[in-house]
Amino acid sequence: MNKFWSWVFLIAAGALVLLFFSNDFGLIDIQKTAIVAAIGIDRSEEAEGRWSVTAQIAVPDANANKASNVSIPSAETVGAGIAEVNRKTGWYPTLVHCRLILLGEDVAEGDVFRVLGYFLRSEFVEDSCLVAVCEGRAQEMLGASSPVGELTTMAIAKVLSSEAQKTGLVCVTNLRDFAKGYYSAAKSGYLPFLARLPEAESGGPSEGGGGSADGGQTGGSASGGSGQSGSGGNADVFDASKTMLFYEGKRAAVLEAAETLAFNLAETSTDFAFGEVVAEENGEPVTFSLKMKISQKSRALALEGGVPICSFRIRANAQIADADTAAGLDEAAKKTIVPGSVLRAAEREFEEQLTAILKKCADSGCDLFGLKQALYRNFPREYDAYEKTLLSSARAAYDIRFSTLH
Amino acid sequence: MDKLKLRQICFLFAAVLPVAKLIIYPSTLSYYAKNDLLLSAGLNFLAEGIVIALVMWLSSRTDRTLFDLLRYTFGEVAAKTLYVLLALFLLFSAALPVLEQKIFVMQVLYENVPSLLSFTPFFAVCCFACVKGLKTIGRIADISLPVFALAFTALILLALPHADFGALQPAGAAGVRGIFTGSLFGLPWFTECLFPLLFLGHFRYEKGGMWKVLAAFAAGAGAVLLYLAVFYGIFEELSILSQYPLAHIAKYSTIYTTLGRADFLFIFSIALVCIFYLCIPVQLSVHCFRKAFPHLAPVFPAAGANLLLLVLAIVFNYSFNAVQTFMMRYAFPVFLLFCYVLPLLSLLLRKKPKAGRGTPEQNAKAARKKTARRRAARIARLLRRQERREHE
Repeated sequence: MNKFWSWVFLIAAGALVLLFFSNDFGLIDIQKTAIVAAIGIDRSEEAEGRWSVTAQIAVPDANANKASNVSIPSAETVGAGIAEVNRKTGWYPTLVHCRLILLGEDVAEGDVFRVLGYFLRSEFVEDSCLVAVCEGRAQEMLGASSPVGELTTMAIAKVLSSEAQKTGLVCVTNLRDFAKGYYSAAKSGYLPFLARLPEAESGGPSEGGGGSADGGQTGGSASGGSGQSGSGGNADVFDASKTMLFYEGKRAAVLEAAETLAFNLAETSTDFAFGEVVAEENGEPVTFSLKMKISQKSRALALEGGVPICSFRIRANAQIADADTAAGLDEAAKKTIVPGSVLRAAEREFEEQLTAILKKCADSGCDLFGLKQALYRNFPREYDAYEKTLLSSARAAYDIRFSTLH
Repeated sequence: MDKLKLRQICFLFAAVLPVAKLIIYPSTLSYYAKNDLLLSAGLNFLAEGIVIALVMWLSSRTDRTLFDLLRYTFGEVAAKTLYVLLALFLLFSAALPVLEQKIFVMQVLYENVPSLLSFTPFFAVCCFACVKGLKTIGRIADISLPVFALAFTALILLALPHADFGALQPAGAAGVRGIFTGSLFGLPWFTECLFPLLFLGHFRYEKGGMWKVLAAFAAGAGAVLLYLAVFYGIFEELSILSQYPLAHIAKYSTIYTTLGRADFLFIFSIALVCIFYLCIPVQLSVHCFRKAFPHLAPVFPAAGANLLLLVLAIVFNYSFNAVQTFMMRYAFPVFLLFCYVLPLLSLLLRKKPKAGRGTPEQNAKAARKKTARRRAARIARLLRRQERREHE
């Protein structure tokens, strides 16, 4: 090849590389693109069998991100609703940055994959985006005033963050994990059940971005908000300490805050949490607030004499964070040593919560611990025989040990 | 100009050829073989490994090119005809990976819908590589090994904690039919075993060369199998929906909360190696054309081949699924014939020329040998006759 052709190649390649990296010839102009931060889906109030789709759109601004909620009150499918956002606003909605799919409570009464199927099919939606179900309508939830800038999504995402999951207060789920459960042998899954705390609606702005305590016996609540509202007025507080269980895509049961914490400690990536236990001290019931560190957790399914046994093995370390009793100086100084009675009470509490969860699962059909999947993977020959009665016939065996966290 | 080193062939098998199986192949395979995708892919690798071993054994027996062997056996015209067929097949086999890479780049690397122009630089790069001949394949291999090794290791390390290998249980759940269908329909992604046949005569066989190439091939195959296992461990039943797992497999790592999608650095690196990979069948196709038409300047078949692929990319811009279905379901016998049967049959080819089927020098040498053999035979016959007469 002579020099002329080499130069022709180089110039042509250079020109094409410019096109490649600039995407100047992209079919959709970035200026006409709406960056959708969250999608809310409810059943339509106008017509049966149709959907109401709300898109929270982030509008970049010199000072901060401004939010704009666009609602389509009645659409045949979610895809059609999103396409209608384009027709109504002139913006082409890009879902690449969609971080939250919020389902209204009424959507959970039917198979939620009627609406989530769109997001699974679309290559433009990240399957790592958060999914949650909310009390009431998703449209109203997304319209709540945000304590963090203008985007309500950001406040909700903080409540559903991986940090919240690590402390056991919320069962965070993304689209991929929820769909995996739905399409697995278990046909089950869970979503955080988001609520707007009523006391915060009338509360004034306060400093910090903490949460409000709404604890059950062993757990606090995951809530975010109560900071400076972007609008300067009241800021809503979101709580996701409850967890909604699903079987075949439909709502099956709801885990309370304490059960959510116990489930997180036993099953998910939570390894550090706070919880309260009541133990006898000098003949008086005293509530201890414990800082817990899970060092080992495992779950296994075995068939012993034709009976399915679900065994939990949990090893945890605990430290007293607080107690509702006036402690002497010595006791406060020795806070690292947790009395045996408190440790045993924590073990009992943990067992009770897990038993309650298993009962809810057996009653509702939700295979929260993936027992059917374990049966299918480890005992494929016995799967057909045990599959239908597994949840009701399975016995739980607990091996839970708490010791002092030094 | 067209010389390769054994080291480069090894690098090619270890680092370049696996990338073709990282894009759309995993989800396609899991559609048929489900959780048994490792068994299905393992069968393909086994078949490829056998073919590669046999071709490497052939290379230890002769230093001639495939074209020479064909000419020695069938003559010049037949050899040229077969090379034209091979060139057409290589171009045909390049179409699916090129379209696959195009759709990957356009859907994954851009937020908005880009135009086809965004992918056209590839054809310029490929045309340049084709003009430069086989030696660029060696250079591609040398460059790709460190890039692939680093990017692949990083992606796997980021993805590994999120994989549940229990999802691969129970073995055999897809059934024999599912496993074999996965293998058969996966043939368009297993065309590399043809490459060593076309490298014959273009590299010097070294002692233990077959084992070196097989070890490199095993390393590449192991990387793909590990990737498939991690892929299925992450996506499980959703694996058939995850069309471009390369872009998603490592995104679940929590480090991105502060860093952003840093894994795109590694995805870009593998996409770069994939661009190199896509050039190889087109380069070999042009190489075959040039063997068949030696007086043609290389730029013409190179431009023609890339123009054809560009036209295919335009025509099938929105019909990738149709092309994929056609290649998998209907064209697999073609892949079987050219990539597996042809290399096996090549073992039967003559390694030395018959008179009149070599170069002029070879023909003259063979003719001299033939004359000498005839003369020796005639003398022996005369001697035997004389002995018989004396005996009588």
